[in-house]
Amino acid sequence: MSPATPLGAPDPEKDVVALLIQQHGEIRNLFDEVEKTKGDDRRDAFHRLVRMLAVHETAEEQIVHPVARKAAEGGEQVVADRLEEERKAKEALSRLESMDVEDSAFLPALVELRMDVMKHARAEERYEFTHLRRMNDPKKLANMAKALKAAEAAAPTHPHPGTETAARNAVAGPFASIMDRVRDAVRDARGKSR
Amino acid sequence: MSFNPLEQRGIPLDRQVRNWRELNVAPLDPDHCDPYTRCRVIAMNGIEVEAILFSHQFARHCTDPDVRQMLARVRYIESQQQKAVNWLLPGVSSVLETTIAYEQVAVDLTAWVARAEPDPYLKQAYQFGLLEDFDHLYRYANLYELIEHRKAESIVDGLTEVMPGRPTPLHHRAPVDNLREPYDRSRTDPLSKLHALTIMAAEQQTMNFYMNVGPTYMEPIARQLYQEIGMIEEEHVTHYESLVDQGETWWEQLVNHEYNECYLYHSFMEQESDPKVKALWELHLNMELEHLHQACELMRRNDGREPAEILAPALPNVLTFEPNKNYVRQVIEEQLDLTTLGTGYVREAHERFEAMQAALNDGGPAPSDQVMTEHQEAFGRDYRMQEGEHPVPALREDWNHWNR
Repeated sequence: MSPATPLGAPDPEKDVVALLIQQHGEIRNLFDEVEKTKGDDRRDAFHRLVRMLAVHETAEEQIVHPVARKAAEGGEQVVADRLEEERKAKEALSRLESMDVEDSAFLPALVELRMDVMKHARAEERYEFTHLRRMNDPKKLANMAKALKAAEAAAPTHPHPGTETAARNAVAGPFASIMDRVRDAVRDARGKSR
Repeated sequence: MSFNPLEQRGIPLDRQVRNWRELNVAPLDPDHCDPYTRCRVIAMNGIEVEAILFSHQFARHCTDPDVRQMLARVRYIESQQQKAVNWLLPGVSSVLETTIAYEQVAVDLTAWVARAEPDPYLKQAYQFGLLEDFDHLYRYANLYELIEHRKAESIVDGLTEVMPGRPTPLHHRAPVDNLREPYDRSRTDPLSKLHALTIMAAEQQTMNFYMNVGPTYMEPIARQLYQEIGMIEEEHVTHYESLVDQGETWWEQLVNHEYNECYLYHSFMEQESDPKVKALWELHLNMELEHLHQACELMRRNDGREPAEILAPALPNVLTFEPNKNYVRQVIEEQLDLTTLGTGYVREAHERFEAMQAALNDGGPAPSDQVMTEHQEAFGRDYRMQEGEHPVPALREDWNHWNR
């Protein structure tokens, strides 16, 4: 018999693609939670969703897209398409952030955002992550997973701004402020490793 | 309500072609649709695919150019129907999510048919297959959590339990043991013919789906699991197609196919919760009535027989997608250990079965067990969604059936 294909699903700790797919699942779980809860529970679930989206999208922007751009011919365009989807989702999100979770327009807007986010996630899995896999470089995927984890750890746990970002946050909303903080953290981590 | 499709006329055949805009149906929302609407879509797609493939086979065995023309006209419409139905599935769903929905179809469709089937031998054949599809649902659900970190209950929505059935590695039997005895076309209840055709078509579509989407996965464990369960679908198609009397004439088979499509569109129209989808079932029913009429004409002309002789006087009770949890539990309790020997069923692992198992397993465990091992390592448990304890004590705590 020929040697078997290596067993098992890739480990999210050591493989950035597995980690990102796992996060796509977690994001959908959070959408479920926001839809099913009410009042303060919904507010809390929505804050966790906003944080998760901000961290996930920033980490992709800082860690995944740059590699995907160079991973294959056409990578630049693949990433440009993803950024356009992200832009659309961010718009939908900022509309939601200006609303109270009890607002009658909240759920319909959330369902719309959910669909945008799902389309984006599925497109990443199908058209972007496949390029990362084709690089056939497990070490690189492991390093990217590590960087993504580090960025996540550096992100503020609550979307409430510290004093230094209060002014900017008031304009851009907690989502944007978390993205800024994660960007800074990724840059810091890179600076230190150099 | 009594509805006799033989007495109805539908949309004239030359007015059935739809334009691109009409075929461009809006997909379901995977997170907010009725799971049984998705089940009806998947089941009906299988029925239409069978209609198309059957018509192609018929045309390849038919020397009469007029008949081939009629088959081509109807087949074109059926191909459009298949597109309109299957394109209701949303592109945002992952392949694995659609797969889990396929297994939910297999479980709740087969369970309903087993409950409604009047012939005890045929009923046994459905009960036997039911426990295997039920275990496939469990194995794919574990793969889903392993890869996508979502729980299958977000798809099946509490309508179908997810827990061990007959362990998947034990589904691999010697090929000859997958053949059943056919019903007798002259004596069987007309309802039995519809059941056999429906389940055969559903399993055939599942086989086609897995054999084509399996290699689109990157994850080795996913690729292997689709391969293994794809082989079991081959067994299931063999199992169910052999129930249909092979002595039926081509004309008779054509009438049965068209009649079954009327039955199912009518059934689904009666129970559909989504108004847009309901309108599609109604439209297609009105198309099928005409296809049936044409098929009946061909049978009268070429077989010299009245279609009413082989069909029920009115449509049987509506075939329904509904929870079958207690029924499935009861069948698990009574029949988990069955395998087939010839066209019958036994509880012992016989020589031919053992030989097949040995041939397949001598390079390591089956992928369906590997996925459970992987899942256990990653989560410290298996994934299941059961209401109350498992009916078989040995499968309550541990997925590993080899410890029984």
